[in-house]
Amino acid sequence: MYPGKLNQIIALFESLPDAEKRESLISYAASAMKQGPRDGETFDLEDIRKDEECTDTVGVFLKVYPQRACTFRITLGPQVQTLTKAMTAILCKGLDGLTPEEIMEVPADFVPKIVGAELVRQRSQTVYYILTRMKGIARVWLNRERSAVSKGV
Amino acid sequence: MSEKSYAHPEALVTTEWVEGHLADPHVRIVESNEDILLYDTGHIQGAVHIDWRSDLQDQTIRDYITPQQFSALCERNGISNDTTVIFYGDKSNWWACYALWVFRLFGHTKVKIMDGGRDKWVAEGRHLTRAVPHFAHGHYTPLEIRCDAEIRAFYDQALAQSRAGMALIDVRSPAEFRGEVTHMPEYPQEGVLRGGHIPGAASVPWKMAVKDDSTFKGVNELRQIYEDEAGLQPGQDVIAYCRIGERSSHTWFVLTYLLGYKNVRNYDGSWTEWGNRVGAPIERG
Repeated sequence: MYPGKLNQIIALFESLPDAEKRESLISYAASAMKQGPRDGETFDLEDIRKDEECTDTVGVFLKVYPQRACTFRITLGPQVQTLTKAMTAILCKGLDGLTPEEIMEVPADFVPKIVGAELVRQRSQTVYYILTRMKGIARVWLNRERSAVSKGV
Repeated sequence: MSEKSYAHPEALVTTEWVEGHLADPHVRIVESNEDILLYDTGHIQGAVHIDWRSDLQDQTIRDYITPQQFSALCERNGISNDTTVIFYGDKSNWWACYALWVFRLFGHTKVKIMDGGRDKWVAEGRHLTRAVPHFAHGHYTPLEIRCDAEIRAFYDQALAQSRAGMALIDVRSPAEFRGEVTHMPEYPQEGVLRGGHIPGAASVPWKMAVKDDSTFKGVNELRQIYEDEAGLQPGQDVIAYCRIGERSSHTWFVLTYLLGYKNVRNYDGSWTEWGNRVGAPIERG
């Protein structure tokens, strides 16, 4: 149902007691700041903006390799919530190597499986925001590809 | 704090004061946040975590816990009836003020806010720890009933206040007040069917009460905002509201403790009740 790497992360979280689940989320959140672009990297698309739906600016960077394998890099403003930071690191790892089409098909219902239903509640809904942004940039890439194909580029 | 001439300067403490009282057995420091995992990433040494939703609210009915549940919450956090509780948190102390207000619902009056909240503590480079403290259980005698009548307003009371032309303060963002959006800036839609404000309410966004470093403005600036511009007068009955009651707790704290208003109530049902209620009158613009 879920892509392989993401499925492994989901299975791990589902096996953890609540206290360890929180610790793992904090560990992932701590690594979120390492998900940004690295020196020398180039991207097919970059989308940096501050939306109404999130507490700070989020930058999404997409590189699609020749076999259509995607790699994401993400930058987060300091006001982004801890859960959203954790989800950023989880998604960068869990969706790495998928095609744009596969990314578009990832259902959002895995979020409570990782985070736990108790933590997905009012005022923590931005936990879904990063996946929406990743799908958004994948959609733009696909639209451009279709446009290029139709023009015979 | 006295240089600002607040009505109750004892209700605010500085970050320096807190640092000097970390080991004070008569003081308990409580962190309350919107960011549900923020406490776990690091907090003030000796601070306990009280969550606005899972600790203070009934988990089934939209209401607060019972006095007995509050007593148990306090005791397991090492809080007794005579403990001075210092609240701080993220978002310029929204949830710290909310937790303080809920403590007041249960009659706990020895409460203070750490001015500037978590952001100021962090900005000053003060120490955070991940170590969760464990205290000996407190001894807490609960009230028989909550003090809702004094500081909490319900829908019918807010409606009566509106119809009587009495003071209502809407502390949401201007766009929420005008009915242009039904969510807070920077947040997703959380389920309100109608936008606008309670008829007759004055718009005074909560943020007008704080400076860039999240500390409260001085009393003269606050009087200008709430009295000269919004038209409030000391001695008036005032009801404040927002979406779910946390931003209005912040304003309730300002009016009650900093300006010394004696009859301020927080309508915690706020816009998520009013904007969904069948037949509730609404103004826009």
